[in-house]
Amino acid sequence: MRMSDYIEQSFSNLARRKLRTFLTTFGVVIGIGALVSMFAFGQGVQKNMTDKFKELELFNCVNVFPPTMQEQSQPKTKEEPQQAPVLDDDLIQRITKIEGVESAFAEIRFPAMVRLREKERFSLVQVLPANVCRSGLSKLLVAGEPYASDDANCLIISDSLLHGMKIKDAKTVIGEQVELSTLRFDPNLFSPAAIASVMRGDEIPFSRESYTFTIVGVAERMGFGGSMPVRSDVFIPPGPSEKMKKISLTSIWDFFSAAAGPGQAKGYSMVTVKLSSAKYVQPVKQQVEDWGFNTFALIDELKEIKRAFIFMDMFLFAVAMIAITVASLGIINTMVMSILERYKEIGIMKAVGAGDRDVKKIFFFESGVIGFLGGIFGLALGWAVGVVINQVANYFLAKQGVPYVDYFSFPWWLCLGAVAFSIVVSLAAGIYPTLRAARVDPVVALRHD
Amino acid sequence: MNCASFVQTEGLTKVYSSGKIQLCALKDVNLTLAEGKFLGVTGPSGSGKSTLVNLLGGLDTPSSGRIKVQGRDICELNKEELAIYRRYQVGMIFQSFNLIPSYTALENVAFPLLFAGVAKRERNQRAAEMLTRVGLYPRKDHRPAELSGGEQQRAAIARALVNQPKILLADEPTGNLDSITAKEIVKTLADLNRNQGVTIIMISHEELLLQEFAHEVIRLRDGEIVDREKLR
Repeated sequence: MRMSDYIEQSFSNLARRKLRTFLTTFGVVIGIGALVSMFAFGQGVQKNMTDKFKELELFNCVNVFPPTMQEQSQPKTKEEPQQAPVLDDDLIQRITKIEGVESAFAEIRFPAMVRLREKERFSLVQVLPANVCRSGLSKLLVAGEPYASDDANCLIISDSLLHGMKIKDAKTVIGEQVELSTLRFDPNLFSPAAIASVMRGDEIPFSRESYTFTIVGVAERMGFGGSMPVRSDVFIPPGPSEKMKKISLTSIWDFFSAAAGPGQAKGYSMVTVKLSSAKYVQPVKQQVEDWGFNTFALIDELKEIKRAFIFMDMFLFAVAMIAITVASLGIINTMVMSILERYKEIGIMKAVGAGDRDVKKIFFFESGVIGFLGGIFGLALGWAVGVVINQVANYFLAKQGVPYVDYFSFPWWLCLGAVAFSIVVSLAAGIYPTLRAARVDPVVALRHD
Repeated sequence: MNCASFVQTEGLTKVYSSGKIQLCALKDVNLTLAEGKFLGVTGPSGSGKSTLVNLLGGLDTPSSGRIKVQGRDICELNKEELAIYRRYQVGMIFQSFNLIPSYTALENVAFPLLFAGVAKRERNQRAAEMLTRVGLYPRKDHRPAELSGGEQQRAAIARALVNQPKILLADEPTGNLDSITAKEIVKTLADLNRNQGVTIIMISHEELLLQEFAHEVIRLRDGEIVDREKLR
């Protein structure tokens, strides 16, 4: 028998039982659809994250932390007790001179109330030097431009925050005045009277200071200004930041050390080092660690992240496999029913010269065709589910100012793999019915009805 | 090859086992048939007629004995070789016609050519020729349900002969037909035998038809040949 005849026979035989073929194939469509959409979701999330990290050059970053308290209390050499290294401007200067370092800046974030057009929103403010703002953040600007100098009394605000304030057109806010109100932990407010007022809910032990800035730019999405994927909605240059009274939120330690008062050298709790390429990550880390600091690079975590994604993929795969298994049972059921119905026909086939191999192939092709159709339409269903969920999710997220994100990714290997997998599963489901068909005894099948 | 032993059986025996019960359907049947002959097989129900035809047609295998067709022992063939034997060497027709209900007459006739690997266009062409030969071409697009019993059997004959086999095995081809149609069908078979030299082995209860058209008639009872009659 010719290959084209097997295919034609399969389609015409399946077309004879349209409803049953449709229902069986539909089972496969749902299974493959679930598989495709789940895999596409896993891929989409993974792609989104790695692409975003790459776009934001997070893999080119190294974070530097001061030694922990424990490390500080254990000097390396007893003869020469070392002064605990401090993350200060001197160190930033030293780091900047290392080969491959583009810039190094202290990671400073603090909470503030942002007041614009009579509306207030609580947000995280990040201090970002002008040069970093120009090189990194400028790509993400939808309106305006990065601030020109470290001392400019300007800021960049995110579109998400504007959305939160019901401001739709980002361009209109450029040049407008915005008020940042910072909180400062005030030890004086810890008087018994103040505590009593806190207890009554009248007052909090923070003092509030307000500063006015001019908006020069609007960032497209929630900005990852530094090397940590922490959302900041407002970016200001270091100059005005130094003059502001605030509590930094980079580490909880700052919260308490802020109370220590001025004059006490405490350094920064974190410095972000931007490199020109990921290849400098290891040498820079080495150098900085030699100076007695701790480091963190996201690229080192990539393997862990990938492993986590594999687990997520496996979980999604397991869920989809349940649907596939049910679909396979449907195929087995349909094929066995078909064989029972076509029992006599199989006898006729054999009487006119079909070998067991021909009979097997005919039924095998029918299973394969169910798998093929199920795969194609399942892929379409999975894609459609992805599109619908994407639209719905983005519709609601857009209201909160989150820019459009594709949560589903359909790489070519997923599309081809889904159809191939569907065919393989269907063929596997067809093995038993096929063997059963080949075993039909023509004498019994053709016995007078 | 000896023309006198075109089809030959030696000690052909078929025993069906069902649990502890053994049923001997055919007992030591020795038969020799020359090429181009028309053999009638008759006998009461359960005498082993259909078993004989199924064995000769390669649909079943004997418990013991030999079947030689054109000098070749078909009992030694494996399953796939038997399929090829059924495809090219023998054609079979049945009492209940055994046409595929969802196929048209033309598709039914072309069906065996599918397994012979013949291209679709040629399949249809050859099937149309066969239908013309049995006088059914005008009904080629009709499904079995739309054909009369005689027409269905003629379609079945066309299907049996489409691969140009040398032997035609007919298992009570007239059993479901009225007497006039039955005679027409047997006449068609006799014409094929006479004009194209197709060797025919036909089971029938109708002695008169056999007497009229067959060269030789054998009578079976309880799986054994009890009588042979040479008619012409």
